[in-house]
Amino acid sequence: MNRDDEAFIETTRLSKVYVVGEVEVTALRNVTLSVARGRLVGVTGASGSGKSTLMNLLGGLDTPSSGSIRVADRQISELSKRDLALYRRNTVGMIFQSFNLVNAYTALENVAFPLLFAGVAKRQRCDRAVELLNAVGLEARKDHRPTELSGGEQQRVAIARALVNEPQILLADEPTGNLDSGTSRQIVEILAELNRRRGLTIVMISHEQDLLREFAHEMIALQDGIVVVRKATADPN
Amino acid sequence: MRISDYIEQACANLWRKKLRTFLTTSGVVIGIGALVCMFAFGQGIQRNITDQFNKLDLFNYVNVVARNSGGGLSSHDPDDPGAEMDNADVPPGQAKQDQPTLDARFLEEVTAIKGVIAAFPEMRFPAQIRLGDREEFTLVQVLSATASQSGLVPLRAGVAYVSDEPNELIISGLFLRRLGVKEPEMAIGREIEVATLTLDFSLGRLFRMAFPTGDQTLPLARESYRFKVVGVAQRMGFGGSMPVRSDVYIPPGAAARMHKLALTSIWDFFKPAGQAADYSMVSVKVASPKDVELVKKELESRGYRTFALMDQLQEMRTGFLIMDMFLIAVGMIGITVASLGIVNTMVMSILERYREIGIMKAVGATDGDVQRIFLFESGAIGLLGGLFGLFLAGVTSFVINEVINAFMARQGAPRMAYFNFPWWLCLGAVAFSILVSLLAGIYPTRRAARVDPVVALRHD
Repeated sequence: MNRDDEAFIETTRLSKVYVVGEVEVTALRNVTLSVARGRLVGVTGASGSGKSTLMNLLGGLDTPSSGSIRVADRQISELSKRDLALYRRNTVGMIFQSFNLVNAYTALENVAFPLLFAGVAKRQRCDRAVELLNAVGLEARKDHRPTELSGGEQQRVAIARALVNEPQILLADEPTGNLDSGTSRQIVEILAELNRRRGLTIVMISHEQDLLREFAHEMIALQDGIVVVRKATADPN
Repeated sequence: MRISDYIEQACANLWRKKLRTFLTTSGVVIGIGALVCMFAFGQGIQRNITDQFNKLDLFNYVNVVARNSGGGLSSHDPDDPGAEMDNADVPPGQAKQDQPTLDARFLEEVTAIKGVIAAFPEMRFPAQIRLGDREEFTLVQVLSATASQSGLVPLRAGVAYVSDEPNELIISGLFLRRLGVKEPEMAIGREIEVATLTLDFSLGRLFRMAFPTGDQTLPLARESYRFKVVGVAQRMGFGGSMPVRSDVYIPPGAAARMHKLALTSIWDFFKPAGQAADYSMVSVKVASPKDVELVKKELESRGYRTFALMDQLQEMRTGFLIMDMFLIAVGMIGITVASLGIVNTMVMSILERYREIGIMKAVGATDGDVQRIFLFESGAIGLLGGLFGLFLAGVTSFVINEVINAFMARQGAPRMAYFNFPWWLCLGAVAFSILVSLLAGIYPTRRAARVDPVVALRHD
């Protein structure tokens, strides 16, 4: 078997149950899936289908109620809080629908932000952030704050921030949710380009199935916390 | 994260909320300022007292009284069985035959004891002092030229008298003011009249005693002597038992030529005739405070009662400690209020930056990173509060010091520093401020560290 075909991300009977008051809400139910290294996987589903929960679990922001998550031969579901933080820092980059940039910081400071926790020196942080802003076409906007940037620009800053620690996996939670169709396409194209050129493994949630199908290697559909469809698309490359 | 990054983050975050940082830090500044000011005042008072005692060599003195002396140090103490035994077989008002006495012979004997430099008796008598048309009553102290020149009486103007014979005197600046002279230099060289009381058993006086007409009936007369002012003494800053404590000092030769009743209290009338000629107290000066205990033991073995300020030093230290504790307790009120302000500010900051904390965690910050970021902010408030609090304490104490000195100068007192800022107080104040701020930050920062990133990232 080719190394690229091996499961890089693998979940086994993954479940997540939230307790709201006295009511238990099952967000994910026995989800078993695998993603090979260097693939771009699209995840679709209606609101409340468990997409974001899956993303939070894969990103190490949340812990499963049962089942396991294995990423790059590491059992993520068994990591301590501190190791989960290191996993988020070194292995995963995350992009969110609402960008989640710090409004008090400039674009440059936002991109360099994760390097702060990695203990990188200020000069190197700046150099690396400028390099990435240049890569997403925003070098001229490096001193602007998020409120002075358009939605598409903010999402590109978020992409640059997600890449700054050179992660192995990029998790994008509806990155086009707050963008117009033209800008959405630009963002998805940037992510697809990263997947193609850098071999970055990407899991991307989106409601825009057609756009996603155009670039993804594989599509997963969730419904009520269960994987209902899983199929490969025509090879986008 | 690097330490420099924590510091930079803390400064940047505090700078973002300037007004809130200013108000919170002001609370710490006032708290630390008040605490330091009070503590510095306590330190200043302690330093002044001990310095003055050291300057006047007061720790080098042992005061000696005879065991059967009428008052002062040997006053009757019902709890002292020794005192009862001493006087058990002696009729009231009569000295024991073998009781040690304080006389000229004692002065010779005591100066022979190892470690003793000098001994001089306390001789004081009441007198009316007249300068121009003003007259005031005081107790005149007889002080040898050697003692007056030893610096025992610090002078504001003029010089100490150099001989035991001439009719020269040293007068205190405060007493001069009572006599209407405000500038000490103006009094040097002027003549002052010293009037004493003497017994008058003339026929005229006896007749008036037998047939009182409403005016003076005691057999007392007044005799006046003229003295030249050679020195003006500074006011003694603090009270306590001192070897010299008077407003007017004259040499022994001049005192011997004066007719006077050496009565300092009504009890002097009841002294036995022989004892009346003795000194009520003798001050013994030793070479160093280390000699005090040996000299005391020697004198006590000879039957004398002794008193030394060294004995009181430990009590004074306890007193200072209590004073410090009281001042600190008052100052801590401000610090407590300020620390509540820090807690409030940090909680507000964390609530405002709830989403930012989520972002921090999403990009790889550990709980410890988050906690330290906020702890550094809290500590920075403490550092700023400590430094500016120290500055505030310095300014406030300077102003208070000037006001007190201006007031005391009008009383004739020398200029003094009433506040003392030792280096350990300055460093300790800043360190304490940081410590209190960090303690105040513990709860909010732990709360920040526990933030669930999933919830925080959804937070608006």
